[in-house]
Amino acid sequence: MMTLDTGRIFEARNLDYDYPGNIAALRQINLTIGPGELVALLGANGSGKSTLLKLLDGLIFPSRGEVLAFGQPLSEKSLRDGPFVLEFRRRVGLVFQDPDVQLFSSTVWDEVTFGPLQLRIPKDEVVSRGSDALKLLNIAHLRERPPYRLSSGEKKKVALASVLSLHPQVLLLDEPTTGLDPWSQGNLIDFLIDWADESKSLVFSTQDLDTVEELASRVIVLGTDHSLVADGKPEEFLSDPDFLLRTNLVHEHSHRHKELVHRHRHLHDHHH
Amino acid sequence: MKSEGFLSRNISNITHILESVISAEDLCRAPGLLQGLDARVKVATVVLFIVVVGLARSLPILGAVFVLILALGLLSRIPLGLFLKRILIFIPIFTAVIAIPALFVTPGEPLVTVGTKVIITEQGARTAGLLVLRVTDSLSFGVLLILTTRWTNILAALRWFRVPSLFVAILGMTYRYILLLLHTVNSMFLARRSRTLGSLSGGENRRWLAQALGTTMAKSHHLSEEVYLAMLSRGYRDDGLVLNGLSLRRWDFLWVAFALAAASLLLWINQL
Amino acid sequence: MHIPDGYLSPATAGTMYAVAAPFWYVATTSVRQALTGRTVPVLALFAAFSFVLMMFNIPLPGGTTGHAVGGTLLAIVLGPWAAIIGISVVLGIQALFFGDGGLIAFGANCFNMAIVLPLVGYFIYRVISSNSEATSTRRLVAAVLASYIALVAAAFVAAVEFGLQPHFFHTADGTPLYCPYGLDEALPAMMGGHLLIAGPVEALTTGLVFAYLQRTHSSLIKADVPGKREGKLWLLWGALGLVALATPVGLLASGTAWGEWGVDELEDLGLGFIPSGMQRFAEWWPAPLPDYGWPRMGAVIGYILSAFAGIALVALLLWLLGRALIRKGQVSTREPPPATTDALR
Repeated sequence: MMTLDTGRIFEARNLDYDYPGNIAALRQINLTIGPGELVALLGANGSGKSTLLKLLDGLIFPSRGEVLAFGQPLSEKSLRDGPFVLEFRRRVGLVFQDPDVQLFSSTVWDEVTFGPLQLRIPKDEVVSRGSDALKLLNIAHLRERPPYRLSSGEKKKVALASVLSLHPQVLLLDEPTTGLDPWSQGNLIDFLIDWADESKSLVFSTQDLDTVEELASRVIVLGTDHSLVADGKPEEFLSDPDFLLRTNLVHEHSHRHKELVHRHRHLHDHHH
Repeated sequence: MKSEGFLSRNISNITHILESVISAEDLCRAPGLLQGLDARVKVATVVLFIVVVGLARSLPILGAVFVLILALGLLSRIPLGLFLKRILIFIPIFTAVIAIPALFVTPGEPLVTVGTKVIITEQGARTAGLLVLRVTDSLSFGVLLILTTRWTNILAALRWFRVPSLFVAILGMTYRYILLLLHTVNSMFLARRSRTLGSLSGGENRRWLAQALGTTMAKSHHLSEEVYLAMLSRGYRDDGLVLNGLSLRRWDFLWVAFALAAASLLLWINQL
Repeated sequence: MHIPDGYLSPATAGTMYAVAAPFWYVATTSVRQALTGRTVPVLALFAAFSFVLMMFNIPLPGGTTGHAVGGTLLAIVLGPWAAIIGISVVLGIQALFFGDGGLIAFGANCFNMAIVLPLVGYFIYRVISSNSEATSTRRLVAAVLASYIALVAAAFVAAVEFGLQPHFFHTADGTPLYCPYGLDEALPAMMGGHLLIAGPVEALTTGLVFAYLQRTHSSLIKADVPGKREGKLWLLWGALGLVALATPVGLLASGTAWGEWGVDELEDLGLGFIPSGMQRFAEWWPAPLPDYGWPRMGAVIGYILSAFAGIALVALLLWLLGRALIRKGQVSTREPPPATTDALR
């Protein structure tokens, strides 16, 4: 029986991942994530953010190197072990980028109760967890709705609720604010700040530097070469325009006035 | 082959399906007679009635059954226009087309004669009538079921009737993703139509259709893999772990009694 | 080709459920073994795709349009057993939600489109494509031909189901109770429409999508599993399937007044290898069961049951023969059989 060390959340050691056909997705990733951390995972499109999150959630496995969760290696073998899988799946929740992938049940209620039921939680508790999760995100009125009758914002909420009903210790979120209007974005960020505490961890991938400023205590940046190019406090990197440009986190906009070319960098300069 | 016809027809097909799904779902919530009954009871009695309709040998019986169906529809707050539209949408008309030749070719006692030539036989008339009424009655029962029972409850009823949980799980998820794929495909059609000026040849349409279908197939494949990971992420191990919300009440027993009585009466009359 | 309720008698419909059941059972266990945890999402998504495919209005050269079933395509990509479940699910949804296909006729519709169609299609595809490359023209031709023949086969079985109705189910004065057209009318009518229109639509659709897949997602087209063993088994199952389909027609289209078929007539039709057990079956069953008022109903049921019993016996014999041949073959080859390491998928 494997014992979980809840003081260590994730460790990646010399992690490489290749897509089928030997296409590089991640190269030599080394990182450690502990309890209480709010980690923003940044990188341009295609830099491997979603892949890294899936590796941390034990859904795919490294081509080389290893990933550990709670001190235990994540592998096909270890995730076949009864008690460990159950504990791991309970403690770590991943909210996918595309909510349609996560909303595979017939109704919202079926969806939020799916996780607890699969984890063999007794029926009474499943019902209370489901109701609580819906109330927490103010979507109790959507309980009987089928997924095709939900707006995209509502879908994202249901996706989050369906993971929260597991009562996870760690939340992995793949681009949680993408596609949300500013008000909903703000709401979500507030919610996540409330949710977090010293024992819980949050890892979220994002393209939105505003979110990083408001939520993250730590920033990890994946470069265009698929390796880890930065790992530290947000302030260290987010005010360095050259760095941001190099890693494709911002773009340089240029337009012509006849012979003159103006270049503007669109930085994360606006403060709220 | 006019491109307008081809695209528009497919678009209206899809739109029609999506609309009918939504309207069916709304009707399931109306406070009507059938809506208040347990799904298991409804499924069983609908099958019973269709079998009775299948065993009937006389036109009056089938006619009486249709009157019963209309009454049930009325008591269940189903708008008559909508109901008839769903019934008559293609099958009974198509059946009439099939049945009409039978009027003329079935051997037997003459019914309508022109001069010395027998045009329509008694047997021909009766067989055509039997076919049309039988098809209409059977179809109507199915429509009554689907307009008054929520999809999740139908699935729960099937599970209760010991349909293998694998099959029910697939059934539920298939339906959910049909609607998603239809939306996707519809967008493809609409985009294509908005970029089309004038007609396209049949060949161009076919090529485009092949691409649309191929893309949709690849998308389905991609979705299937992602959905699997999403299920795994929340601890997926077994099918059929769903909270069953079905419970029998007094009305259900009354209905069963009524259904059995009606069926027995009809079968007895049938024997005479 | 979806048969609504009312065209088939409850007895026929019930029989077809019974015929479909073993195929569903084998399909379920095979698929669970092959796909393990992925079964539900993979089959659900492909069934959803099938539904969407079936819905398309496909333009034919010449201006007509039609609808495809796509069963062979599904069998090629997912394997025949997964296709059986996938198409059955689609037919279930079509029957429940759209009244396309009856509820008690569901067994018959599944047998025609979800069982016969993909099995025949897959068999012919495998035979024609044998070991060629996933992107070869030969495979494309195989897919097109297989889907055409499979659809026609499905139409054929449906036509037989229709055509049997007036023979066996009519009132005392001759009024047919269900489908009013006998085999001599139903067969040409259905076969004509499907050979000329629905078949080409199916072949065209399958060809177009298959070609597209060959170009862009050739990994979806599974390479054949090498080895004589599977090849022989498929040949035998395919032959068996064709025999099973041919038998009832051979017997019924002979023109002899039914009920008078004896073993001699069977032998005349070239089916002399049917064991004498079948003859005994036919003689056991009493002639009219007067309580029901159906003329010669008892003999009819007896006939149908004996036909299936005969087919089952033939199937069993062929299968045993096949196993014996294969075992013999394996002993004489020098290579060991391929090890299966697929368990971890």
